[in-house]
Amino acid sequence: MSAAGTLAAGRARKPGRARRERRELTLIAATIATILLVSVSRHGFMGEQNLRFMILDSVVLSLLGLGQTLVIATKGIDLSVAPMLGLTALGTGLLAQGSGLPLWEAAAMSVVIGLVLGTINGLLVAKLAIPPIITTLGTYSLYSGLMFVISNGTQVDAVPHAYAVLGNGVLARFLPVPIPVLVLAAVLALTWFMLGHTRFGRAVLAVGNNSTAAYNAGIAVTATQIAVYALSGLLAAIAGLMFLCYTGSATVTTGTGDHMELQSIAVALIGGTAIAGGRASMLGTVLGSLFLSVVLTALVFVHVPPIWYSAGEGLMILVTVAAGRRAQAAARS
Amino acid sequence: MDDTRPPAPVTQGPAATGASGSRLPLGGWERALLAVLALLLAGLIGVVPGFYPGFGGFLALSENFLPFGLVALGLSTVILTGGIDLSVGAVAGLSAIVAAELWSGLHLSIWLASLIGLAAGGMFGWINGLIITRLNVEPLIATLATSFIYASAGTAIAGASPPSGFPDSFNALGTGAIGGVLPYQVPLFAVLAILFGLLIGRSKFGRRIVMIGYNVDAARYAGVRVPRMLCAAYTISGVMAAAAGIVLAAYYSAVRPDMGDVLLLTTITMVVLGGVSIFGGEGSIAGVVIAVLVLGFLRQGMLIWGFSDMVTTMLTGAILLGAIAIKNMLGGRGAGLALLLARLGRKRVRQEAPARAR
Amino acid sequence: MSEWPGQPDTAPRAGTYAAHDVTKSFGAVAVLRGVSVTLHPGRVHTMMGENGAGKSTLFKILSGIVQPTAGSLSLGGTPVVLGAPQAAHAHGIYLVPQEPALMPELSVAETMFVGQLPTTGGLARRIDWRQVRARAREALGSLGLDIDVEQPARHLSIAQQQLVECGKALLYGCRIILFDEPTSPLTSHEVAHLFSIMRRLRDDGCTLGFISHRMDEVLEISDDISVLRDGVLVDTVPRERFDRVRLMSQMVGREMRVIPRRDWTAATSTVALAVDGLTHEPRFRDIGFTLHQGEILGLAGLVGAGRTEIAETIFGIRPPDRGHVRLDGDDITGLPTHQVIAKGLVYAPEDRARHGAILPMTIAENLTGGMLPRLAQRLGLIDRRNEARIGTETVARYRVRCAGIEQRLRELSGGNQQKVVFGKWMGLGPRVAILDEPTRGVDVGAKDEIYELIEGLARQGLAVLVISSETEELVRLCDRILSIYEGRIVAELSGGQITLDEVGHSYLSHAGEAA
Repeated sequence: MSAAGTLAAGRARKPGRARRERRELTLIAATIATILLVSVSRHGFMGEQNLRFMILDSVVLSLLGLGQTLVIATKGIDLSVAPMLGLTALGTGLLAQGSGLPLWEAAAMSVVIGLVLGTINGLLVAKLAIPPIITTLGTYSLYSGLMFVISNGTQVDAVPHAYAVLGNGVLARFLPVPIPVLVLAAVLALTWFMLGHTRFGRAVLAVGNNSTAAYNAGIAVTATQIAVYALSGLLAAIAGLMFLCYTGSATVTTGTGDHMELQSIAVALIGGTAIAGGRASMLGTVLGSLFLSVVLTALVFVHVPPIWYSAGEGLMILVTVAAGRRAQAAARS
Repeated sequence: MDDTRPPAPVTQGPAATGASGSRLPLGGWERALLAVLALLLAGLIGVVPGFYPGFGGFLALSENFLPFGLVALGLSTVILTGGIDLSVGAVAGLSAIVAAELWSGLHLSIWLASLIGLAAGGMFGWINGLIITRLNVEPLIATLATSFIYASAGTAIAGASPPSGFPDSFNALGTGAIGGVLPYQVPLFAVLAILFGLLIGRSKFGRRIVMIGYNVDAARYAGVRVPRMLCAAYTISGVMAAAAGIVLAAYYSAVRPDMGDVLLLTTITMVVLGGVSIFGGEGSIAGVVIAVLVLGFLRQGMLIWGFSDMVTTMLTGAILLGAIAIKNMLGGRGAGLALLLARLGRKRVRQEAPARAR
Repeated sequence: MSEWPGQPDTAPRAGTYAAHDVTKSFGAVAVLRGVSVTLHPGRVHTMMGENGAGKSTLFKILSGIVQPTAGSLSLGGTPVVLGAPQAAHAHGIYLVPQEPALMPELSVAETMFVGQLPTTGGLARRIDWRQVRARAREALGSLGLDIDVEQPARHLSIAQQQLVECGKALLYGCRIILFDEPTSPLTSHEVAHLFSIMRRLRDDGCTLGFISHRMDEVLEISDDISVLRDGVLVDTVPRERFDRVRLMSQMVGREMRVIPRRDWTAATSTVALAVDGLTHEPRFRDIGFTLHQGEILGLAGLVGAGRTEIAETIFGIRPPDRGHVRLDGDDITGLPTHQVIAKGLVYAPEDRARHGAILPMTIAENLTGGMLPRLAQRLGLIDRRNEARIGTETVARYRVRCAGIEQRLRELSGGNQQKVVFGKWMGLGPRVAILDEPTRGVDVGAKDEIYELIEGLARQGLAVLVISSETEELVRLCDRILSIYEGRIVAELSGGQITLDEVGHSYLSHAGEAA
């Protein structure tokens, strides 16, 4: 380790970006590989029906995951995304079912719900200094309790036509891109741009890297933290609305029953976002969600009993995180 | 740390160690909690009709929440090391199911099956420990992932119709009482609480656990075998989760794969309310025990009063948030009210690093 | 006059920067008392002083990080108030901190622009990454640094991090640059490079501030020297009047006498520790020595030479690639720490707060923390009376100033904390003790006490290995000194060879001469 060498450090590698790109490429490759593998042995896997199913399924999770990614990037975590999703789906759904709430009003309502609930999280974390895991564990119970309160024993079984179109329609007959996918694509583009090319996005990463240094550099750390939780809430609410439109139903256990909060964390991690904060990939999260969806559907096709799906998710989390750690340790030495 | 900074002012943390350095005697936080318990019980007995149907009935209420207390004891051990165990619910369910299947499928005595269930819980916890120490995965992620896996396994093994209808002698564990007055759960919990209190507060094991929680590097340099201690802590958490699962099985005389689901939020609240720091090191078992009683009776009281289950869950969540917020304001490096006001206001308080991560 | 990137077109900001009667107290403790000093453009002004003299605090006040309790600052004669670091930057003042603030996952270029990323104009206000990269490269290039600005910041060495901070100063258009003890973690080459950059800046008219307590460096680079002692400015002298001995005595506050070396040695001929061919690439290679009972052996060398790594390998924190360590004949190579401790070798690490002690725990708990396996028990529980007895005895024996053994360690001063760390290990009755920077963060008064402690223990038969960056300390304590340079032993000094000069030169290169 000669002194002269260390001063003029090499231009040899650009590890940060390279590693992220490698993860994303790996995910794409793995997804394609899985699809090919299963298509060979089981027909119908690549059929239109199934393809739609896999893709649409992952849209909701992707939206949740994008919000979660932002929060994790600041060294935080948001367990309350599941009830925020459910609350939005149930709330707007009941109003739509009962009093015929117009779609655009539902959308506006979702935005408000998400921002308010998310901001509450943000204030608790940033202003009262309650550790994120505790905060969101607490709001998880509060928000899911709220779901019971507003449901009053009922649930949503049908949605107005406009909602169904949003959830199941396509862009045009000659270009059958499902509308939810378009929504996701727009959100992905916006959040990707925000994270990589706006001051706010870079502030998010700076806070996750070293909040003290960020503070000293003049970044409004508290405001940034509140903002990411608000965004997480917003995206969870949008996800809830999409869920409602896509499935046409909502119950008191929407979101929480499937532990979607844990799944959203899983896809963020699988996509290459570091749990320690400071490094995040929006595209990776979406790819991770797609990969997860494909793998789970593949399991169905290969007749693996559904009860093992969560186990599969758990294993995937462990594998990706442990593998990531090992790569980091190797790169360091 | 060099001498440009003067010695820090004398601020005892809320859960200060007692005069002789052990963690059994009650510090400020525990005493406050005890007062809360007393007030709570007085309030509930006075206000809620039916809360106190005789001494036996009153004690029987504890059957509903002492299983949570068992989990809280084990979870405290893990949280004191600075870690966390999100898989307690899944482990509780899975271990109970394992025991139940052994009884119904292999016709083992229910007691032997339960012992094996406990051992299984320990093994699941030990696996958590291995993933954390060998694969270098953060406790949050590791136990998150294993909670998925254990929950899946539980559902798979339980199948369509999980076993139920255990022998009466077994069910007594959950619902029976000595002399019809003292529920079996009470001495069970009491004995374990005392054991844990001694273990954490007065034994070498406990000392090592706390050292790791305060400063894992310094513990390592002092010769503490950190990986071994961590595995032990998670194993203990697994065993206690399994114990809770088995007691719940006795209580319902049935098992269901999701019976542990409700455990996580409440037990974390009990641990945190009891004064254990989420970052490790600080805290006492005594505080946790009092917190178990506070939250347990509060919940029962509200249910008897007519509130729904959901409302009590929401209240638990609110208490969790409130407890930490208060703890932060009182115990942090700075005096209470001024800091609170400055924090909530727009004034930039020159503090050290903002909120640390989970 | 060269153009530094980012420099605005207004009149040069560099000017005379003065502190007037600055006082700073934290609670009841006064860290700075009525300090007045003036930094001039085109000169390097060094603040010298022992640990705790207040140098760092003064620089923090000068750069807006800390507010003075009393006193004022003026720039070019005009009073200025710096409420935050940003205000200082606006006035052209920048502090290169002792520990550079790292953003490990962000690129080097972005790290330099944290909080002030430039954006493109127009509707879509997006970050102008091209400008970020170009300006970063320019700033670093003007310092002679050829670093890939797109790599993650965590790939930078300490020296590079400091220079990146320097680059930041230039980016902000600052012409008053303060360096807070930058040379401690650097190798000699890196120090030379840093100094050449500082000279360029100075010759260009910048006002430079510098903190170090290494006499040689200070004499080499400074144009003005101010000595601080216990928060008070003792004297300020320009280059023409530098007097090494006088400066030393002003720092320490008493007449510098010849460093008192013992005229006795407790070293016996019995070998306590034998190290042979110890290697751990790339940190150190072929380390071999013997340490005798009662002997105090020193390891001298620059930071980064590998001494701490050698100690940690002996202690069992990490196994060596090859080589052997024998304790009283027992092979302890590669054994884990708890076994090494059990066999009688203890290690007091250099970073006390992070590795040596557990500050939130009580004195008693810290004292017994290293001896848990041996601590007396009753019925499986720690015998508290015994623990209290150990605590009180140790506190008395080492004269630890505290409010009782139940006091939390973090409330003690550095010197008393260090004594507790000693007490912790000595309570085990070890045969060999490795002390890494035994008086770091300890004020001058307590240092002597600790030296006497160490010598007393040696007299009782303890074999001591001392690692220190303070040559004076090694000269005072050691019977023998081994000099380490880039992972190899390059010299062994004993007896009459142990003088400040000899020792100071022995570890500067392979050949024992300054490279």
